[in-house]
Amino acid sequence: MKKALSLFLSAAMLLSVLAACSPQPGTGHTSPPSGAPGSDQPAQSSAPADLEGEITFWHSFTQGARLETIQAAADQFMADNPGVKINIETFSWADFYTKWTTGLSTGNVPDMSSALSTQVVEMIDAGAILPVDSLVDDIGRDQFYQNAITEMTAEDGSCYGVPLYSNTEALWYRTDLLEKYDLAVPTTWEELYEAAKVITDGENGNAFGLAMPMGTNDMMATLWLHLYVRSAGETLLTEDGRANLTSKTVIDGINYWLKVYNECSPQDSIHYNASDEATLFYQGKLAFDFNTGFQISGVEANAPELLDKLDCAAIPRVNGGDPETGCLTTNIPVVIWKNSKHPEICAAFIKYLYDPARYVDFLLSVPVGMMPALKGVTENETYQSNEIVQNFQHANEVLYQMLGGSTSIGMEYGPKAEAGLLTSQRVIENMFQDIIINGTDVETAAAEAEAKLNELFETVG
Amino acid sequence: MKKINRFKAGMASFCFILPALLVVGLLLFYPVVSSLFYSFTSKHLIKSGCEFVWFENYVRILRDEEFWSAFLTSIKWTAASLLGQVMVGFTAALALNRIRRGRGLYRTVLIIPWAFPSIILALSWKWILNGVFGFLPNFLVKIGLCDTAPQFFSNSNLVFPTLVFINVWFGAPLIMVNVLSALQTVPQDQYEAAQLDGASPWQSFVHITLPHIRVVVGLLMVLRTIWVFNNFDTIYLITGGGPAGLTQTMPIYAYNTGWGLKQLGRSSAVTVVLLIFLLLVCMLYFKLLDKWEQEGA
Repeated sequence: MKKALSLFLSAAMLLSVLAACSPQPGTGHTSPPSGAPGSDQPAQSSAPADLEGEITFWHSFTQGARLETIQAAADQFMADNPGVKINIETFSWADFYTKWTTGLSTGNVPDMSSALSTQVVEMIDAGAILPVDSLVDDIGRDQFYQNAITEMTAEDGSCYGVPLYSNTEALWYRTDLLEKYDLAVPTTWEELYEAAKVITDGENGNAFGLAMPMGTNDMMATLWLHLYVRSAGETLLTEDGRANLTSKTVIDGINYWLKVYNECSPQDSIHYNASDEATLFYQGKLAFDFNTGFQISGVEANAPELLDKLDCAAIPRVNGGDPETGCLTTNIPVVIWKNSKHPEICAAFIKYLYDPARYVDFLLSVPVGMMPALKGVTENETYQSNEIVQNFQHANEVLYQMLGGSTSIGMEYGPKAEAGLLTSQRVIENMFQDIIINGTDVETAAAEAEAKLNELFETVG
Repeated sequence: MKKINRFKAGMASFCFILPALLVVGLLLFYPVVSSLFYSFTSKHLIKSGCEFVWFENYVRILRDEEFWSAFLTSIKWTAASLLGQVMVGFTAALALNRIRRGRGLYRTVLIIPWAFPSIILALSWKWILNGVFGFLPNFLVKIGLCDTAPQFFSNSNLVFPTLVFINVWFGAPLIMVNVLSALQTVPQDQYEAAQLDGASPWQSFVHITLPHIRVVVGLLMVLRTIWVFNNFDTIYLITGGGPAGLTQTMPIYAYNTGWGLKQLGRSSAVTVVLLIFLLLVCMLYFKLLDKWEQEGA
């Protein structure tokens, strides 16, 4: 009897472990009649006086100031519309992805949410969100930067996300370390390597020139390889949605980052993610880093003593004569979910966020970090008078220069579901680790990674 | 009348066990059955609908080199962690059993790792062992034990033993507390009798202590085997299964398949294979426990 009981209990425990991995059944993809919640009807913004109902807004603006600004906007909106209740729930980007992908099958998704542009493609692919063309027109389609709108536009020509802000990558550096070693700001990849090497050798373990992050918990190696490849005018995802890891430029890029890893990076950076990379910079142990304008708020919060030693430059080029172009911009939109019972409230609240004063307040909750999705906002007096904006005028100029013409990774030829897989499957991170740990030949590892990505791409579309 | 009373008593008994039955039925069996069901389908995480593919998911995973590599890593991870946890936990329990003063305090201090969420533990160890600014690598250089800071998480020879060490540090206190409780149930007069008969401490340990506590230790081994084999957070948070898949265990492989590739059907097949394997291991354990119990009786 005891044995049977023990067996039963252990089997139950094993099953409970399995249960954690079990998908929950459910439809979540029903098609209610047009106009009803869950229909394909485009979201319309209506007069605030008509609004009544409760909505849930998931967003990933987790930093204090941004969170407070959004909450204040929601509170004001509810005060202006007494029949409306907005429930705000905040998740990190990683948690948000898990929440909506798992929630979709059970219908447990919000009414509206923030998103990453690569996720918008997946959401469109899953039929989970509503087109927002009328809302975009209402706010002023011409006012938005075209690239951001293009990234939210599906093959059917409908726009599925309202761009809220953008951020673009630049080369951040410590001015004091460059001065200490009498180095100029690098403009080419080779100059960057040489400067990083001088600093790494000179600091003898106290600081490093660069830290090539290759951790499989993040997409940083993909991002850094993309920067090199994009600066040479190529892309990791071709126009016909195939992976490109074997062209001469990409092989050069892989070899370049391996050289940087071997000679200018801490060995531990093989498992670094974005947070590890940032921590090293805040510790004052890194001379160069690639990041968006969020670098400023990160340094301000974690290492304010470094704030006046911080500046940024354009992404390096392969050859000195090549034009300085932006290589990577992430556009963050707000989307309205098809399951929403009140898309009209969502649309009205989104429009409310773009009220000029409110929008500038939101952007200034992370000054320079969040770049406006609307043209002309930077000329706003309040925006211009912000202390960080004033202190980082050069960085701001560089970032705007980088913004022009650049897109999210894999979106160079328009929105593609493959772009999400390119960054989320860690194939490139594993390729780098395989070369370093197992000594696999670069060309072989690149060909294997390319084949693996192309196999994965067959699961979408 | 008797029949009615018996029926009433039966109903009352049933009502008492009903909540437990419901919990087990809804929270355990339903998801497991659905997992089994999905393992035979092409279920995708975010796409609607799926079709029966029968054993295709099983064939695919069993043909995948990465699956077998993860399986082997899981076995090494479980065996090394368990061995370490039992040795450290057992030794600590024997030592604590000899202590008369402050036993409660020591026990509380040693159980502290269990009081923290795994994310705190993982990030703390990541911080302590960081190859650039971590306390331990720099300390080892400072005291002259190493010329350069050891790279615990990026050196292919160090990363796996480092993770096992962290898991032993985390899991040994549970073994210690349970073994200590079992040790306190061993009748003292048996030790006194053995002493009078001239038994050495080792003989007392082998012939008195071990037979009394081996069932408890056996049950602990069953529990820890399941927990350690299914451990996900420690490894995922520290190395993510890297570098180059050196620390990728089965749960991480299943997670990457289900949540990375969004292939829930295939991920379910991995978990079903895992269930079958663990059930087999548990059956072996129970067979051994049964034998011990019979010997004890």
